Amino acid sequence: MPVTNQALPGGYQLLNYRIDRQISRGGFSIVYRAYDETGTPVAIKEYLPASLVLRTEGDIVNASSAENLTSFRYGMKCFFEEGRALAKINHPNVVRVLNFFRANETVYMVMRYERGRTLQQQIQMRQDQMSERFVRQAFMHLLNGLREVHTHKILHLDIKPANIYLHSDGSPVLLDFGAARQTLTANRPKLAPMYTPGFAAPEQYRDHDRLGPWTDVYGTGASMFACLAAFAPQAADARLQEDHLVSAKKIWSGQYSDNLLEVIDWCLRLDPLERPQSVFALQRAIRDIPPPKRKLTFFGNLKRVLFSEIGA
Amino acid sequence: MRFTIFQESRKGGREVNQDRIAYTYSRETLLLVIADGMGGHVGGEIAAQIAVRLFVERFHQEAKPRLRNPLGFMQDTMLRAHAALGAYASQFSMLETPRTTCVAVVAQGGQAYWAHVGDSRFYLLRQGKLIGSTKDHSKVQYLVDQGAISAEEAAVHPDRNKIYSCLGGLVDPVIDLSRRTPLKNGDILVLCTDGLWSVYPRSELSTMLTSTPILSVGPRIMREAEERGGPDGDNVSAIIVRWGPETLTDELSTTTDALAPGEFETEIEDTLTLADRTGSSRDLTEDEIERAIAEIQSTIQKYRK
Repeated sequence: MPVTNQALPGGYQLLNYRIDRQISRGGFSIVYRAYDETGTPVAIKEYLPASLVLRTEGDIVNASSAENLTSFRYGMKCFFEEGRALAKINHPNVVRVLNFFRANETVYMVMRYERGRTLQQQIQMRQDQMSERFVRQAFMHLLNGLREVHTHKILHLDIKPANIYLHSDGSPVLLDFGAARQTLTANRPKLAPMYTPGFAAPEQYRDHDRLGPWTDVYGTGASMFACLAAFAPQAADARLQEDHLVSAKKIWSGQYSDNLLEVIDWCLRLDPLERPQSVFALQRAIRDIPPPKRKLTFFGNLKRVLFSEIGA
Repeated sequence: MRFTIFQESRKGGREVNQDRIAYTYSRETLLLVIADGMGGHVGGEIAAQIAVRLFVERFHQEAKPRLRNPLGFMQDTMLRAHAALGAYASQFSMLETPRTTCVAVVAQGGQAYWAHVGDSRFYLLRQGKLIGSTKDHSKVQYLVDQGAISAEEAAVHPDRNKIYSCLGGLVDPVIDLSRRTPLKNGDILVLCTDGLWSVYPRSELSTMLTSTPILSVGPRIMREAEERGGPDGDNVSAIIVRWGPETLTDELSTTTDALAPGEFETEIEDTLTLADRTGSSRDLTEDEIERAIAEIQSTIQKYRK
């Protein structure tokens, strides 16, 4: 028996979209690149929980057993919430939803196709240390998007480098709000979300009534930490048992500004109340960091001039 | 991997069975797990179910076909189950978190590993001798260890059912992890809940299991335990494994050699179909699906610049 769901094949016509290829596969869905009728690329997210094997061939999703159907429909509710949340947000640093429809006995969300790569890939590919300037700029913009998300009374709850897309000009886009509708855990164990160890805040493991903007602040801090370290900080649940996390300030003192390192450490406090309490507070702290003194080379200078010319 | 396996869970004199048991195996790894949902606490059976299901599902994710770190896997899964129970309680605004004990055993590469929380037990028997076991996280075990009472006194102590570590409790669980223990052919692995061990002395179990094929003696033990428990007896559950090719006659052993990578065999004894506790977790109707989609589409239009 095949143990994974079959993806739609390349060339498959899904309403007015033509599937090109599968881009990624997550716990709840498969994401494809596709083209609309004008040839514009889009990303299409197909709701198809990996823990339920529902399509072993063809295109129709078949929740055959009653138990499967229940879990399937329950997860669909979460998928709707993600769609509802994103539909309202039109911000350059948040992925844009273009369409939402039902087909093949499941549901699909069409999003703007973002070119570039994830911050995760960026971290893995990089040769040398990420510059302070890059980290600050990327996160400053990202936090603009996250602020917009919070304004709509939505928490992302899965901020991590793999969910942050970078355009070639370095501007970030926040992706994948799949985890945002958490707490579908217990009585539907098949759909239980697994938090990303290292990036999930301690309150995500247990104190669900303590979730708030500070929870996404933790994920942001962990992502910044990962940019510097190239690995995730110790998982929060393990930290609660025995905290082995060495402060950013200790590890990278002298290589990055004290202020940036202090902000990272601040975001990674275990007690939610000790972290920046809002994205705005965090942005203010990052903005207050004096830019590092850097020698301007001729090309660096030129780049600056060019970027300011094109308004980047 | 070759073994013979028996598992059963009986209600005893109780109205509901709050025990949950399961085994599952890949080509190279076997997982056994038992959870005893705590009576007197809301939703004990739900707690046991969540713990066992989580174990099985995580096993299917991680055993490919071996677990990289069996003890780490068990510890991590228990912590996740503990967190999931807290989340469940807050989702349904329950006053009390559902609680359960849990004991799990992994056999892999000819080695056994086990972990437990509470007073569900594991015994590893070799030629009738106990070579490994769990130690209850119970008040009476603590008193015995302190030398305050004897084992005989513990068996009739009024607080013999009180445990100080469980999944879903107010404080984080104390999780005991075993050492890696090599298995030999003919070894007997027994996981059981207190419904069994409180009425069946270990020596008696050991004698019965050593001399008789487990598939025939297993059901007998279970029936007998239920009878000994009496009209108000606890739920009784056990998983019994004889390791290696069967040497006793008439015993059907299981081999995992035929399983392809990524394949699993699973047996879960769960009698409970989880009922929804509030309207919020109700199934979506066709109508609601259509309405949700229409609503999202109109929102997209509205916010399109």
